[in-house]
Amino acid sequence: MIESAARKISGAHLSGQHEQASDLELARRARGGDESAFAEIVRRYSPRVFRVASRFFRRREQVEEAAQEVFLKAFTELDSYEGRGSLEGWLTRITTRTCLNLLRSMKRRPELVISELAENESTWLDAHLAGAATERHEAAERSLVAADLADRVLATMSPDDRLVLTLIDGVEASVKEAAEVTGWSEAKVKVQAFRARRRMREALEKLLAGTRKRRPQET
Amino acid sequence: MKDEHIINMLESAPFASLTERELVVVTAHCAACATCQRAYEAARISALLLKERASERVEPSPFFQTRILAALRERQAANEAWSFVRLWKSAGALVSSMAALVALLAGLTFLAPTTQPAMPQTVASVSTPYSAEDVVLSQDDLSTEQMTDGQVLTTIYGTDDDQTR
Repeated sequence: MIESAARKISGAHLSGQHEQASDLELARRARGGDESAFAEIVRRYSPRVFRVASRFFRRREQVEEAAQEVFLKAFTELDSYEGRGSLEGWLTRITTRTCLNLLRSMKRRPELVISELAENESTWLDAHLAGAATERHEAAERSLVAADLADRVLATMSPDDRLVLTLIDGVEASVKEAAEVTGWSEAKVKVQAFRARRRMREALEKLLAGTRKRRPQET
Repeated sequence: MKDEHIINMLESAPFASLTERELVVVTAHCAACATCQRAYEAARISALLLKERASERVEPSPFFQTRILAALRERQAANEAWSFVRLWKSAGALVSSMAALVALLAGLTFLAPTTQPAMPQTVASVSTPYSAEDVVLSQDDLSTEQMTDGQVLTTIYGTDDDQTR
């Protein structure tokens, strides 16, 4: 509530005059140096850019940093937006490309082993291996643990694997949509997804094997 | 061979997209095959994890817009400074060579006369045949074409006829 009020106050004076303008018109004005038009683009599409960036990064500061990079890049590349597709799609492609580059520049984690898992992560794996989610935790907490664990497993994979898994298996994008967003061919998306699934499955099989070994000792 | 087929089925499409019929085939096979059972469990949990991860969202902060505009101005200012540096770098060689040329000319202007050895007057007169000294000293060389004293006086004071007029 407070956040949305603050958002309105901070953004109103910058972009209020362009609220009715079309995307193409906004892009044209922003290209001409109209800062408030660009502010309106940021206001309109920052939720979308954040949503895409948060598929790649979990920490707020990382997502914000990526989103900032996206908008600065978008500003310098506005000339290339010709209005053929939606501005949202254009920004989504820039976001995906930027996040992928940021991931590539980051150091990849080594293989994740069972001893590195937190207790709640092991419990989550145990419970789901048994075929039912534990009732000891609230649903929201379970989701958080699962997202933490997913992030740790994904951190051991290549940026391309992460991207394709998140897009196709995570947000259920079609191969065609994934190809549009990444700029890859559909054949490449399919092959990459196939290999990424295999690598993720193998990583999890190792973790689950560790969980199975540990279980009899604990009981 | 059959095992590979099951694993391939798990890997060729998202787990969530497996049809009821495919799931029946997979589970039936897994009941008799430990390797595929492990692969199936891992694929199922992998799908669950990815779903949970994808459902997480970070919303933009209220001041994100202001932050972007500030960053934009900062970057533009940096670009302007950088363009000045680039301009200076490209024009620097020209400016430096011009400065060096000016310094050289100034040096020649102020320093050259004092550094040259003093030449005797006689030598100077030899090198400049129309100097005043030369004219005085070469009075003997007056040719016959030179005006006589009478002509000079006539030119200055005029003739008697002119005075009477």
